[in-house]
Amino acid sequence: MINNKFLSSQEGSSAKYFMLSAIVWLVIGMGLGLLGALEFSFPDLTKGISQLSFTHIRPAHVNMVAFGWLSMANIGSCLYIIPALCKTKLFSEKLANFACHVWNLVIGLGCWSLMNGYTEGREYAELREPFDILVLVGLLLLSYNLFRTVLNRQVEKLYVSVWYIMGAFFWMPLVYIVGNRTFVAMDGLNDGILNWFYGHNILGLWFTVLGVGIAYYMVPKMSGKPIWSHSLSMLGFWTIAFFYAPTGTHHLLQSPVPEWAKALAVIFSAALVIPVITVLTNFWMSMKGSWWMLSTNMPLRFVLTGALFYLFTCIQGPFQATRGINWYIHFTQWVVGHAHAALLGTFTFFVIGSLYYGLQRLTGKRIYSVRLVKWHYWLLFLGFSIFYLTLTVAGLQQSAGWALGYPVGQWSLTLPPMWFSRAVGGLMMFFSSCLFAFNIYKTLTAKQSSSDESELDMAVPVGKGGN
Amino acid sequence: MASEVKKIGAKGYILPALVVAATFITIYTVTVIIPDMKVMKVDPTKYAMEYIEKDTNGKPIIDETGKPKLSEAGRGRAVYVREGCVYCHSQFVRPQDRDFGSRVHAGDYANETPNVLGTSRTGPDLSNEGGKMPDAWHVGHLIDPRAYTPGSIMPSFSFLSEEDMGDLVAYLQSLGRKRLEDPKNKGVYEAYYPEADTAFWQKSEHHKPNVDSATAANGGAGIFRQNCAVCHGTNGLGNGPNALAMNKKPANFSRPFFKAYSDKTWYYKVAEGVPGTRMPRWKLILEPEQMWYLVAYLKTLPQDQEVIIQDYQSIDDKAWEGQSILPNKLRASYQKLGEAKLHGTYQANPGGLTGSETEGGSSGGH
Repeated sequence: MINNKFLSSQEGSSAKYFMLSAIVWLVIGMGLGLLGALEFSFPDLTKGISQLSFTHIRPAHVNMVAFGWLSMANIGSCLYIIPALCKTKLFSEKLANFACHVWNLVIGLGCWSLMNGYTEGREYAELREPFDILVLVGLLLLSYNLFRTVLNRQVEKLYVSVWYIMGAFFWMPLVYIVGNRTFVAMDGLNDGILNWFYGHNILGLWFTVLGVGIAYYMVPKMSGKPIWSHSLSMLGFWTIAFFYAPTGTHHLLQSPVPEWAKALAVIFSAALVIPVITVLTNFWMSMKGSWWMLSTNMPLRFVLTGALFYLFTCIQGPFQATRGINWYIHFTQWVVGHAHAALLGTFTFFVIGSLYYGLQRLTGKRIYSVRLVKWHYWLLFLGFSIFYLTLTVAGLQQSAGWALGYPVGQWSLTLPPMWFSRAVGGLMMFFSSCLFAFNIYKTLTAKQSSSDESELDMAVPVGKGGN
Repeated sequence: MASEVKKIGAKGYILPALVVAATFITIYTVTVIIPDMKVMKVDPTKYAMEYIEKDTNGKPIIDETGKPKLSEAGRGRAVYVREGCVYCHSQFVRPQDRDFGSRVHAGDYANETPNVLGTSRTGPDLSNEGGKMPDAWHVGHLIDPRAYTPGSIMPSFSFLSEEDMGDLVAYLQSLGRKRLEDPKNKGVYEAYYPEADTAFWQKSEHHKPNVDSATAANGGAGIFRQNCAVCHGTNGLGNGPNALAMNKKPANFSRPFFKAYSDKTWYYKVAEGVPGTRMPRWKLILEPEQMWYLVAYLKTLPQDQEVIIQDYQSIDDKAWEGQSILPNKLRASYQKLGEAKLHGTYQANPGGLTGSETEGGSSGGH
């Protein structure tokens, strides 16, 4: 009985559990982020409570949204997409469900321990030894599961999404081992190089690869049109595989690490424009003639908004990794804005589209309220835009302050309006996530169910009314 | 049809999969493993391991768990990491940064783990924070940041235990000290100026004005008021408004030993700053020509009326024989005075703006 409930072998159950856990972590993680943002405006808001001090909230927020929300939502989507593309069942639902429980345990306890100061101290890899080992166990189980599923496939050719997802599940355990002090600890600048190898590759070889793989599945599925060019998509995959790994050192451009490592990082960062352009060209050419779908198809609108932010992020990224620009904008909030544009603007939008699409099909239920989906979209989009633009302006103000040599105490006095409007953007995004969770909760608890594919179509015409 | 499950497996995809693996491993080797073998494998004994407790012979003390015992600053570093200070404070002075002391060099971070380089500067860089502010300032600032720096958005760390607070402050006071003890820098900081740095002096000759001319001194006065007066005071007496908050007080240029400075010494001090204090490296900000104008101005500053024993060692013991004052006692007090002057801690006029901390409050009455 317990075995059945916790380690269900029902088809699609693991994908569903991953997605639903992710939504819970999204609400909590964004709540933490919002509290952190408010503390920039009201620094004494949580005075005296060590767990809620900004410096303790920040690692908990980052780990919760990166591993709890984005990774788990991506994994859930992969567990749905891979069997669908391979026309076979998942190798083992039980194993995947087990991994889901392990990860939930890690995120819950791990983030609580981070708020209590139990940290490894390496940015983005703060979780301590027991959690690191559990994360890795979960990852390896999932990799094994997905690779065995692909080996069992019933179609000859591998679609590009399978390439991307398999790549991610091959690279991520390696990146995780290299990047965590549990497994590889160094001293001095070596530790810094490893830190940013991890910090940037968890983005490049995990979130980007998974996100783009999922979008490559979702765009043709949702629009009903085939992908524009398969060979272009493969070019994107191979260039990302080749160019991403050495870019991390661009976080240390003015530090005394060897010049050649910096040069390599800058060149490869600039070369990342190639995979980005191939991916976006492919998406936009696939959409040619069907852009009208954005007015009714909400999941597709999420995915393509993500693609728009992908363009912003990935033009900004190589540009700010060049020495001249980095000289000016390093150490400022511009970089924070850029990091959010990638993880929140791009990959969160991708995966929200995929959750709306996947959850309806996995549960066989039509979404509870399309009006709430629209509110979710607009609040998230506008909230994020405010957030991103504010941080960009704040970053440029800080850059000017550093470059002109003004003391911190002088230029920081010009920033409070920026901190406040960032918190306003954060509040909008947090509220949109609550609506998202509420909508999904109502969908799951609703009595109605339908197995008719057209009934649970995400494309609900506007004229049919909000609900 | 349905019963027959096709077994396609990995056929035809082995080679591409191997290429993916090989690409990653090559890139990983080139960007991570090779730098880690090459970057600064510094002999730990050459560096001051200020974070480890040492016995009288300078050997690290090993505790019962087999690990080196951490000093107060070493424990403070753990508090720094635990409290997440790194999210807002970098320890990574770039060539273009002003006011944060000398830039970092390879080897500065040897034996320190995990790294606290930082990526965001919501607050100032802390690479050379040690010695800038008194301990009491740090404790107060950590408990109530806005009482000490208005407009600061640093969270209050009032929840830290007394022990953690003491350790953290000890760590903050240790920052940047390692660089001073670096054998590489020895010659640089000990000599008044290194003649051997030919590139530096060649650059300084560019547009060099006549430093003895009144015109140059006049030009330097303006530069002094714009850049230096905020710490050194408008008359160079070391009593600018910033001096109030400093642990190491700014120099008072009316002290006689500044009259002994050569032009080059003046120039070098201005250009390179004074390590361990807030005096910045002005060569990053000013042109050589401007620094020479400053030198011309600094040379014209008046000397105050305080009585200085120029050379206490020249006192003749024999001449004092039979006198009521013991020469040795006198010699000791002169020596103390001389050392105080040498280290810049001598206070001619205790109780003024630049008065020492202990005497500052009590001397208000007379």
